Amino acid sequence: MTDIKKDIQNKANSNSPLGVGGSVEIGKTAKYLREKLGGIPQQAKDNLKEYNGIKKQMLEALKEQDLTVKQMAEKINMPTDQVVYYLMSLVKYGFVKTGEVDDMDEYYTYKLNK
Amino acid sequence: MENPIKNISYDALVIGAGIAGGEVALNLANTGFKVLLVDKELSVGGKMIMLSKVFPTLDCAACITTPKVSEISRHPNITIFTGSEVSNIKKISDNEFTAKVTKHPRYVRVEDCTACQLCEHACPVNVRDQYQFGLIGRKAAFIPFSICSPKAAAIDIDNCTLCGACEKACPTNCIDFTQETEIMDLHIKTVVVATGFDMFDAKKMPRYGYGQHKNVITALQMERELAPTRPFNTILRPGDGKVPDKIAYVLCVGSRDASVGNPICSQICCMYSIKQAQLLMGALPMADVTIYYINIRSFGKGFEEFYQQAKGMGVNFVKGKIGRISEIEGGNLMLRYEDINEGKLQEAEHDMVILSTGVLPNTGIDKFFENQTLTLDPFNFVGQSDALASPAKTSIEGVFVAGTATGPMDIPDSILSAGAASSEAISYLIQRS
Repeated sequence: MTDIKKDIQNKANSNSPLGVGGSVEIGKTAKYLREKLGGIPQQAKDNLKEYNGIKKQMLEALKEQDLTVKQMAEKINMPTDQVVYYLMSLVKYGFVKTGEVDDMDEYYTYKLNK
Repeated sequence: MENPIKNISYDALVIGAGIAGGEVALNLANTGFKVLLVDKELSVGGKMIMLSKVFPTLDCAACITTPKVSEISRHPNITIFTGSEVSNIKKISDNEFTAKVTKHPRYVRVEDCTACQLCEHACPVNVRDQYQFGLIGRKAAFIPFSICSPKAAAIDIDNCTLCGACEKACPTNCIDFTQETEIMDLHIKTVVVATGFDMFDAKKMPRYGYGQHKNVITALQMERELAPTRPFNTILRPGDGKVPDKIAYVLCVGSRDASVGNPICSQICCMYSIKQAQLLMGALPMADVTIYYINIRSFGKGFEEFYQQAKGMGVNFVKGKIGRISEIEGGNLMLRYEDINEGKLQEAEHDMVILSTGVLPNTGIDKFFENQTLTLDPFNFVGQSDALASPAKTSIEGVFVAGTATGPMDIPDSILSAGAASSEAISYLIQRS
């Protein structure tokens, strides 16, 4: 028996809500907490909605052409500092990659990571 | 919900798992004592593990910290509680203390997590990454940073949408939203306080524009930009993603300034700014870097040579006190300052400003203790009952202090202080065994 299986067995034998003997199925504990808390905090919902909207706008804009932060800010009508934050996050998550720097060595372009 | 459980016993409780607390724990453990090392963060390593390089040698900070953290994590005599807090410390006899440890749920069973990051990829949430000082986002299911220890995911429950995507993606079923806060009753023989320091909040000096002018950042944010695990592909202005070429450092922000309640020198700001200036000259060879200072305090071994080296590399040092930083067209910044040597008011334009913020005490440490008083010094650092002869002793017999919990100091001095504290603690334990 692997350590993980042993642990699951131990959980099942204990008073933990997790496991075969408990009321919560392993791998579905998020549902347990969601029900226990009576839903999801509004702030988390709003934050997710905002991020998904911005991500969609940025990826759509980059489908048309590679953009610098300033160009992206103009295209989606968002302050440049917010663009930096979201665009760099999308680079981190692998949706976007860094392109070339301009002739003045000042601004990089960003492109879709296809 | 709290789930009170178990009594646990150790020889020593070390509060704070930064470089000083880790060193104390290792010294005690290597002598055969059982140690409980507690930190409120999700990883051991403290502030040092977040740094790019150290001064004056420019050695890689992570390369020094990581082997030490690994040794601490694998030591059979050390138990580590991360995401945990200590309270209610009571002295009940000559060599016995009791305390409570509150262990907050990580919602991940650390022993089963392989740090594969599949939960991170699956999580749909994006929030500001506190380990990159807000420069970039992270997921709600996340590995705190690449060299964290324990290397395991955690769930940011405040921002989690409880969608269950992380659980579905996890190959080892280690994500567990049924975890609850645990409170443990602890019996120990000695306590070492190694709670480190806090950084001055630059927003408390609105004339410098931090938080308002997007190209004014703190030195800790620049530290992340310079680190190998940096948030951006290179050094960029967070205001518009421009590669900066005229960078200013403002020293003594929130230190040596009674008007903000911190009249003392932070001891490390001059040198970490000079270090960063040298690293910037390497990363951006065409950039101009200016350091505005009141006095350069290069008092340590090799510090003066390091300062002279920066001058030789072309870093511009201006003896000047900054009055105000204003944002001008294009996100650039106008610094109005008193040129101390010339006795004149001057203005200079830069495209990025880094505030070298000062060191403050971590407050509330004295509140950990119930029936004894942990005396603080006039600046709210932990008081040393005999600063010259026994610098690790505090006002409570059996409670010792290490590192920057006693006052501002650099990394080598923190490690020396930890050595002193562990020696005192070992001596105390042996005498009472």
